[in-house]
Amino acid sequence: MLELVGVRHRYDGRVVLDLARFEVPPGALIAMVGPNGSGKSTLLRLLALLEPPTEGEVRLDGRPVSGGPARARPDAALRRRVTLVEQRPILLRGTVRDNLGFGLRARGMRRADVNRVTEAVAARFGVTPLLERHRHELSEGEVQRVAVARALALEPEVLLLDEPVSSADRAAAQTLYGALAEERRRRPLAICLASHQLEDAYRWADDVRALADGKLSPVTPENLFRVELPAWVPGSGDLRHVRVGTVEIAVMTDKAGPAILAVPPTDIFVSREPLPSSARNVFAGRVTRLSRQRPGAVHVTADVGVELVAMVTEEAARDLQLAPGGPVVFAFKASAVRVF
Amino acid sequence: MDFLGEGLRRALALIVQGDAEVTGVVLLTLKVAVTATAIACTLGLPLGFFLATRPFWGRRAAFTLVNTALAFPTVVTGLLVFGLLSRRGPLGGLGWLYTWQAIAVGDVLIALPIAAALSAAAVQGVDPRIRRTAQTLGASAWRTAWAVAREARFALGAVITAAFGHVIAEIGSAMIVGGNIRGSTRTLTTAIALYTGQGEFGLALALGIILLVLALLVNVVLQVLQGKAHA
Repeated sequence: MLELVGVRHRYDGRVVLDLARFEVPPGALIAMVGPNGSGKSTLLRLLALLEPPTEGEVRLDGRPVSGGPARARPDAALRRRVTLVEQRPILLRGTVRDNLGFGLRARGMRRADVNRVTEAVAARFGVTPLLERHRHELSEGEVQRVAVARALALEPEVLLLDEPVSSADRAAAQTLYGALAEERRRRPLAICLASHQLEDAYRWADDVRALADGKLSPVTPENLFRVELPAWVPGSGDLRHVRVGTVEIAVMTDKAGPAILAVPPTDIFVSREPLPSSARNVFAGRVTRLSRQRPGAVHVTADVGVELVAMVTEEAARDLQLAPGGPVVFAFKASAVRVF
Repeated sequence: MDFLGEGLRRALALIVQGDAEVTGVVLLTLKVAVTATAIACTLGLPLGFFLATRPFWGRRAAFTLVNTALAFPTVVTGLLVFGLLSRRGPLGGLGWLYTWQAIAVGDVLIALPIAAALSAAAVQGVDPRIRRTAQTLGASAWRTAWAVAREARFALGAVITAAFGHVIAEIGSAMIVGGNIRGSTRTLTTAIALYTGQGEFGLALALGIILLVLALLVNVVLQVLQGKAHA
């Protein structure tokens, strides 16, 4: 198992990642979601053993391999067990074939074996026709696919993917995720991917975790907003109004300054018209998307002045006749909003 | 103008006839320059790579030192080498003073900061993803360095050319530690200085032309190699 323990990572003195524990169990498929700058790429670089954490350590099978009191430094053999494909991957000089074989040659594999493995992995990822091409002859999507194939040629125990479909179209994304699923059926492989696409995260991952300002969100990854909480005003109690997009969200908190607001999708009441209730947050808008990501559950995405996601049962969605473009009202209590 | 024209005619005649003294000077110059460039680049390129890629305490000071050494006057380098190799110096036992080896030592010290500083700049210019990619694919430190060097091959080729160019055109150190001894330590630049002083303008000009042609040849060869590498 790959894990981060007691990690506080800093750039120029600023804490960019603060995780008491982050585990990637063997064979798991974990999706990390969160806005830009939330620390996803930093987290992946630490897990990939490319840089040691400023504080805390990275462990592989319980053994410190990077950072920690002993300032452990990973060697090349350890790095082959955990491979990262960056958000905008780059191919090394040479052909696609050279790239697919790079890690294998680094491992000291014989030329004939390198060719055999290279061709097998190329076939699995549909890049066989590209084998003799150079990087400048490939599209962004093709580079991404080759980079994933190059990483998997090494048969790592953990594959780390940073926004694997950011530059690919939807069809290419399906192909890539399909190939990864096939790879996981073929052999034990843990995958930890960072993604903006919640839909993809829910569809493909066993475990979706949200990261905001370098911290793991205690609630589901939807409806996370970075805000500046106003200073407490005497007599106002803990009820605050915070502007998010074009709406003001009522929250119960005694905090002030920079914070993350999280509205759990299951805490949002969905209706077609405003209903009398104790909810302090009632926003009308239009449905922008409906997606069925778990059996019986529907994610309703609506533009209510800010994009919010609510979760309802399939039956409720049918009764309310929810449809993209149709009217909808989201309501939630001020106390339902998590602040961290 | 006649003076110049006459000098040029004499120069061409010496080159075409393959004058023994001119040939000897050229061969010695090439031996010293190639040896010094090879040693300086063998040490300087890895040093530049190290400076560019490894964070360590005092890195900024090391950069400043290397960059300052770029502007070190070659006569001062010559003096230092003279002090080291003179009979009473710490390396006097080698008996290298006034030999081509002494000139090569001076030239190595001149070319080393060039190789280190320019290769550090070349490596810093490589997309950092190349290094990370090689590392994450389990490459050793050497293989990672090789992957980065392949990306910076044009700039590194220019580093070698620059080092060779400096060494072959250097005179201050060569004059002090070589002594400009005929048939032994007379290089193109020291010979040019001597013949000009003696009024042998044609001979000096001939050597000057050869020096230019050598520099041109090195650049052409490098460009051809780079062209092949790019294909």
